Amino acid sequence: MDLQSHPQPELGRLEQIVSQFLLKSLHIVLDSRIPSIRRARDRSGNVSGISQVRKSDKWFSLLLGDRPAALDNLHFWHRNLMDPMIIDIILVREGSNSSSSMDNVYSTAAVGTSVETVIERWVVQYESLRLMAPPTGESSATYKKIYKKSIILLRSLYSTMRLLPGYRVFRQLSSLTQSYDFDIIYKVSSFTEPFSRAEEEVMKHYSFLPVEALSGRLCISVTYHQTLSDFNLEPLTAFPPTIITDYVGSPAADPLKAFPSSEKGIRATSFPLRGRGVRSPSSAPFQRPHSWTSGGHRAAPFTPNQPLSGSPPAFRTPYMPYDLPTQPLDIYGHGVQNYRPPAHQKATSFDEYQLSPPFSPSQSPSPPTYFSSSNPMYSRFSSETAPVTIPLPLVGRGSRYLSPNSSDPSRHSLPPPSPRSTRHDPSSQESPSGIRSFRKTEGLRIGEYSGTTNNYSGQKVLKDSKDDSGRFSGLLSSSGSPRIGFSRSSSRLSFQDDLDDCDFSGPFDVDDVDTLDSHASQNLDGKRASEFPSLAFPMTGKSPDAAVGVLVNMLRRAPPLRQDPSCYSSHSLKTEPEGEAGATSEFFMARKTADALEELRSYKEMKDLLLSKSGTHVVTREEA
Amino acid sequence: MNCEACDLKELELEHFQIREVLRCILHTIVFHRALGLVRPKDIDLELFEITYVQCGDAEVERKINEKIDQFISWVEKHPNKKSQICLSFFEVKNKQASWFTNKIERRYWEYWYINLNVAQHPKAHSSKSHHSKAVVDPGESASEDRSLRRAALEASLREVLFQIIKFVNEKKDHIPSIPVAEGVSFPYEITIPSSSDSAFGMEMFKRMLQSGHPTMLS
Repeated sequence: MDLQSHPQPELGRLEQIVSQFLLKSLHIVLDSRIPSIRRARDRSGNVSGISQVRKSDKWFSLLLGDRPAALDNLHFWHRNLMDPMIIDIILVREGSNSSSSMDNVYSTAAVGTSVETVIERWVVQYESLRLMAPPTGESSATYKKIYKKSIILLRSLYSTMRLLPGYRVFRQLSSLTQSYDFDIIYKVSSFTEPFSRAEEEVMKHYSFLPVEALSGRLCISVTYHQTLSDFNLEPLTAFPPTIITDYVGSPAADPLKAFPSSEKGIRATSFPLRGRGVRSPSSAPFQRPHSWTSGGHRAAPFTPNQPLSGSPPAFRTPYMPYDLPTQPLDIYGHGVQNYRPPAHQKATSFDEYQLSPPFSPSQSPSPPTYFSSSNPMYSRFSSETAPVTIPLPLVGRGSRYLSPNSSDPSRHSLPPPSPRSTRHDPSSQESPSGIRSFRKTEGLRIGEYSGTTNNYSGQKVLKDSKDDSGRFSGLLSSSGSPRIGFSRSSSRLSFQDDLDDCDFSGPFDVDDVDTLDSHASQNLDGKRASEFPSLAFPMTGKSPDAAVGVLVNMLRRAPPLRQDPSCYSSHSLKTEPEGEAGATSEFFMARKTADALEELRSYKEMKDLLLSKSGTHVVTREEA
Repeated sequence: MNCEACDLKELELEHFQIREVLRCILHTIVFHRALGLVRPKDIDLELFEITYVQCGDAEVERKINEKIDQFISWVEKHPNKKSQICLSFFEVKNKQASWFTNKIERRYWEYWYINLNVAQHPKAHSSKSHHSKAVVDPGESASEDRSLRRAALEASLREVLFQIIKFVNEKKDHIPSIPVAEGVSFPYEITIPSSSDSAFGMEMFKRMLQSGHPTMLS
């Protein structure tokens, strides 16, 4: 029985309630499962008072905010209100080479390398119970009652959405600080193939009590995966929250440096192109008049299973968050640049996005809009996930160049290396600045830094500075109170400023640096002197420590010097029998004990901070 | 119009969990009974991985917080006791003023009983175990015990929420027509145990008489 054909006004009211009920339930389901739809709603910023709400949103007394335009055109595809509205919430994952049996059993289809699994299936329907004409004499009180009960049903639907396992996945994807190699898409249809037996075994069914409505009843039911832990839905860039005791990450690494794709946990996800102008309804015949999907990467995703002809229109929600992880994650800084829209796509605004009627083949559902409107998202992605974008000025980077090197004879009198630094750690010298930058960033990025430890292309001078590790830490101690520098200067890594405020910034932050400088310059080869300007060290002249650091750096570079065991023994405290260096060596001797203790204390503090941060991460993971 | 009552599953919890658990349950019930225009607000619990929904009404939040504060102070005076909080919905009927009574009559149409068992457990010696390995065993077992209880409470709380949703769906006929178009549509009341148990029982008894509870009619 088609409600639309009945002329009675009561049925018109019922039809209105039913259609709005379907729309509202669809909105509730998608708003709680599809991150792009939620983001669109948040972006529209309709969080003002209740008075400024659209009329359509007031239905069933539940304000959800702006509805995607596609949802407003329910009638285009759901022409018969008696048909069930089936909403499939589909988890799309990157298919692995060693596909597990789980994937084979539960995935409905695999295209390319992606695996799709229906994790929830919602069925909203107005079940007609009576075949005869509906009884007359229904008063408005009846409709009020129906409406009131529908309100309660939709409220319980809203609450239930947040209690099912799928909500966790939605929240994970909605998080802007993580990126994942899976995504959630949806498919709305009025007919779908039932689950296989294997699928049904792991799924649970729940039906809300229907609302009696005249000659039928409003029903909502759901079949859902009881647990999603089998799918290994972990963030992409999540490194295990371990404490790296000898962390020597370089925060001054090139922010735009390509992140090696072989890094642990980072892999480029290659989702198949989903409707990126590759297909349009004009090219694919319309096959299923009663369905539409958010993941239009296939012309007819369910063609093999459907007796109907024609493919569903490849509709896409404007913001496709799963496109973000498809960026090769080895290029953080370039993620945005590489993801320029292909030339054949046009960027239309979100508002113009319409559910194109299936019978107008000339109209192509222009693929999203996200290129124009979601750039903030991309920039957000790149800015939030680029692990090496640390606001360290180049100047700060130079501090690493200034790190002491063993070529300076005065270093022999340094205290033994701190337990943190090891001989074989080429970038242990960066420990102070590394730790400093680490303090600034989240603990999760420790791994990222450690990953870049070996990629200091910009730090060539430090690569082979194993011998200096001990010296550097020793010099740190000699500089007075490096950890004060850590805490105070964590946000200002300008070398010039730091030198004034804290002692950390340079190991040579001592008054006698001038003597060192003079000594170092005397030891300079003419060649290395010419290298000095090539370091582009802007601090020359501003800080004697910096100059010494540069000097030390250059001296280290020189192979012949490095082979001199007397000069480059990292663990020796030999004092050079040089009169000129004698004074400075005495200077360093005098400071070694107290400074070593201070340094030890600073490292302890650092360790505690790291522990507390990683401790937080560990707890979070446990609870998840 | 009859009156329905829902007795929620008892929850065993510790003192520091009372506030979150009560807010979750009370707000969830009110959300399903605030049939006026609301803008739902999702709230994540801090102690558990549960998200519940508030109706977004500031007055409701204030009232609930106030009652929870009162309950917590009651619990502090009566430790290790089972307690019950009652959330009731009523409609106001203006009874004709007579010789004896000219007050407004309340007709309660729904009761929700939240049953809590607040127990104080010995604290885990977590701080000690950090420094001294010797004390690790008792510390670890206590903290394991606590995490087990926490997991059990989370599962129970989830059950309670599903219980609320189920009840809300199954019993709809007794709900009166919506008097207020916005926000919390029905007047409600939260009753916590008073300082003496007998007084609490007396209150419930009085209310049952007032509302004409089915059991009292016979």
